[in-house]
Amino acid sequence: MKRNLLGNSSHKTIQNKTLEQQALSQFTAGRYKEAGDLYKDLLKSADNGQWHQQLAQCYLLRARALAGKWMLKEAIILWENYAEQAPSPLESQDHYITWLLVTKNAAKIKTYLARLSAADLDERYPELAALLGLHIITAHPEFQAFLPQDSVFMMHLDFVREALTAYRENQPDKLDAALKKLPFRSAFRDFRSLVKAVVQFPASAEQAHGLLTKISAESPYHPTAQALLAYMSGKEAFVPLILQLNHNQRRIIVQAKGFNKKQTELLETLHKQHDRLTDKLKFNLAIQYQSLFGAEASQRFCYASLASYPAGRKDYDKHFGRLNPFDTNRLKALQAEQDNNNYDAEGYWHHCLMYLKNHEPENTDKIALLQRHIAKKAEPEEAVALLIDSLNYDPGDRESYLKILKYYDQHEPDPSEHATSEYKRWLEKSLKQFPQDVEFLIFAIKAARRSKAFKKAAQYAEALLKIDPVNTPAKQLLFSSHLAHARRLIKTKKFHLVDKEIQAAEKLSLHKRFQTQAQLMRGFFQFLSEDKKQGLIVITQALQKLNADPVNAHFQAAMEALLLDLPVAAFLKGLPAIKDQLLSEQGLTHLLQLIKHYNEQDVDRKTLHKALEKIKPVIKKSVQQQDYSEDLSLLLCQTLDDIEHFELLRHCAKLAQAKWQKPIWLYYQVYSEANGDPDKFNSMSLLRLQHSLEQARKENDQRAVFLIGRFIERYYEAHQPFGMGGIFDDAFDLDEDNSVEDMVEDLFGHLTEAVLEKISARLAVIMQKSSPERLLQDIIKFLPKSTNPMEIISLLQEPDFFTAMAMIKAADDLGIKTGVSMEDILEYFDMDNGPKQFPFPFF
Amino acid sequence: MKTPYTLLGVTEQATDTQIKQAYLQKVRDSPPDRDQALFQQIQKAFETIKDAKSRLAYALFTIPAADFNALLSLAFRTEEPGKPLRADDFMSLLSAGLDDQTILAAIPYKKS
Repeated sequence: MKRNLLGNSSHKTIQNKTLEQQALSQFTAGRYKEAGDLYKDLLKSADNGQWHQQLAQCYLLRARALAGKWMLKEAIILWENYAEQAPSPLESQDHYITWLLVTKNAAKIKTYLARLSAADLDERYPELAALLGLHIITAHPEFQAFLPQDSVFMMHLDFVREALTAYRENQPDKLDAALKKLPFRSAFRDFRSLVKAVVQFPASAEQAHGLLTKISAESPYHPTAQALLAYMSGKEAFVPLILQLNHNQRRIIVQAKGFNKKQTELLETLHKQHDRLTDKLKFNLAIQYQSLFGAEASQRFCYASLASYPAGRKDYDKHFGRLNPFDTNRLKALQAEQDNNNYDAEGYWHHCLMYLKNHEPENTDKIALLQRHIAKKAEPEEAVALLIDSLNYDPGDRESYLKILKYYDQHEPDPSEHATSEYKRWLEKSLKQFPQDVEFLIFAIKAARRSKAFKKAAQYAEALLKIDPVNTPAKQLLFSSHLAHARRLIKTKKFHLVDKEIQAAEKLSLHKRFQTQAQLMRGFFQFLSEDKKQGLIVITQALQKLNADPVNAHFQAAMEALLLDLPVAAFLKGLPAIKDQLLSEQGLTHLLQLIKHYNEQDVDRKTLHKALEKIKPVIKKSVQQQDYSEDLSLLLCQTLDDIEHFELLRHCAKLAQAKWQKPIWLYYQVYSEANGDPDKFNSMSLLRLQHSLEQARKENDQRAVFLIGRFIERYYEAHQPFGMGGIFDDAFDLDEDNSVEDMVEDLFGHLTEAVLEKISARLAVIMQKSSPERLLQDIIKFLPKSTNPMEIISLLQEPDFFTAMAMIKAADDLGIKTGVSMEDILEYFDMDNGPKQFPFPFF
Repeated sequence: MKTPYTLLGVTEQATDTQIKQAYLQKVRDSPPDRDQALFQQIQKAFETIKDAKSRLAYALFTIPAADFNALLSLAFRTEEPGKPLRADDFMSLLSAGLDDQTILAAIPYKKS
């Protein structure tokens, strides 16, 4: 029996331990209901203090969780259960009272308010005190009777009442005195801030604003602070603020501000739709409440909205009148630009331009700006035409002159012809318009030098230095102009004038190197006019000072001698031999700088090539034996390309391609093999280059893409034996070209008139916008990859084939399925047998 | 929505001189060593509207701003700087602000 009793007790202990563990794990996992039930079971077996505490915590935490879900009645019951289990002091008594306040449980409120001590109100529950204070001064003055009368809270409540009376009676001094009695730690601290802010407005609006924004978001006075901020704000801040308020607050503000029925209606609509304000709704509100916004502002808003809400166009026209073509197209252009659709944007801008020219020709600034805007993204030829025309409307635009000048500088085929060219005409115009402009003067100096007018170049440079005395490029240009002029005087044996020119060059405070260049010129002057021996010494010394590498000294000696029509050999004698020399990286870099220098002086290419002839073996050997970096090799090839020395370029490119195998090297190899002439370029090379172009694109080698693309374009320009220009000019005049008519009938005859018209219209746009080379490239993409290159070239010489392909491209652009395949077209243009009737399967 | 005008704090009718003055004031208030990005914005704004031609270009080539807030502000224009709030309205606002949500949010939960 004894054993049994012991056994039962031990069994119960084990069971309770297990239950306790389960309860604890449920509690830890936040499952308070389950934990509470287990603790209740445990308490049935024993009156354990710790289990009571745990059960109380379960009630409390459940109460809080349910209050968080607005289940306040349930929260109240649970807290009361908690209060039965937990010892004093009770937690969340303040929360419990707030739940009672929300559920308006008057009886319990009174009971629990009566239980609060002075310490509770003044120290333990400051937030509750603030909340009760606000209740007492607004809707529930009766609460006051249940609160401890000896508390500081009650004393402060008297001050608050005093302040409110003073506010109502408009007695600022009394109000101020009452507010001063409320200390920082008072439950009415935020009330004090609110009243202070209200009385400071409107005289000190900023201070009032500062006081209101300091009230914390948890304070029961915060909603009033927000309402006051809305009341005090004007302009754009008002609407967003008032929309955050509740209905009653909005109503009071609307009344206080004296808004009318329509304004109130708009505010309420905005409040209802606050989160659903679509472009359409805003557009409609702008129209509906025109009387509030003002007709002009509504119209401006609706016009601006059309960019994002084009469907509003009909309503816009109805309420504000039809948009003129300029505004319509302007909006479309801006929208297209925003969508990166520059092609369409350009078209719409042209419509705008046309409208302005026809209807508002007096609006010259607008026309000029529009032309310059279109020019920014147009092809260079079109851009320059637009810029030139824009100067008819606004002749003072410096940027346009500059762009026009740069265009002619880069695009005129032969810079030596600049003297009689558009370039010269525009340079003169620019200088007339902007005689003191540094940039135009630099253009003028360079142009004068190109036409060998060194004296004129020096005059421009001097004019520039008067405006900008420290302009180093101008000084350098003036220096080289003086030396070039001195060289010409030596050549023409006007020795008495030479010294003056050299001195003028020497006087310019430039780097020591420039002084040595002047010394070199003086050496040649002495050699020819005074003392050959002394002259030679000066020349040799100067050359050695200027060039650390003997190879470069040889090159410069040769150049200078050739420029003065003197035999080269005499000047090379005094210099170290170069037969066994190799150019170091540094030496090669310096040589390239020298070549660039002479090339920029517009020295005759033949002279440059002749001077290079003397050092050509050294260059070839150096490229072969020295391990130059790829960057330096590229610079070498670029320089050789600039001076069109294809023999050396071939040599370097071949070695580089073998070493690095990249598109850029293949380009230089192919390009130099054809001596830079697209006429000497065969179709195999074209395909190799096209392959390299793709590779360069993949490798994002923009330089190679540009060079190869440009050369391919030049190839197509050179291979237009069928007169591509004619095709473009005629734009498929079907009435006069029977073979085209036949081809269209044979290949596209199954399409309806309407479809053919659409394709034809698109074709006209392509013709207008695309360059012939670009169109050819686009067309080639449609051909099957298996097509024989020779066949392509031969087919492209057939205008009707070109027309057919262009129609396919136009249809493709429009997304029209023509039912005509590439194979159909290739079969139709079977060159061996000539164009033939095409047996469409659906005929 | 920031436009060059709002950034410099001038109206669209402002003259060249007014714009330049506003720009210089802004630069003084926000020098480049304090906030480089803001300084650049100010500079760009000035370049965009500094003279009649640049303002015309801005008006022509910028998608007009459909600023609904600015439009709304026109509907609720009141006299500046506003009138004092009556005590009764103040009391009404105090009552209106005391809703259930405010009551429940007034006392944060502390960790037990």
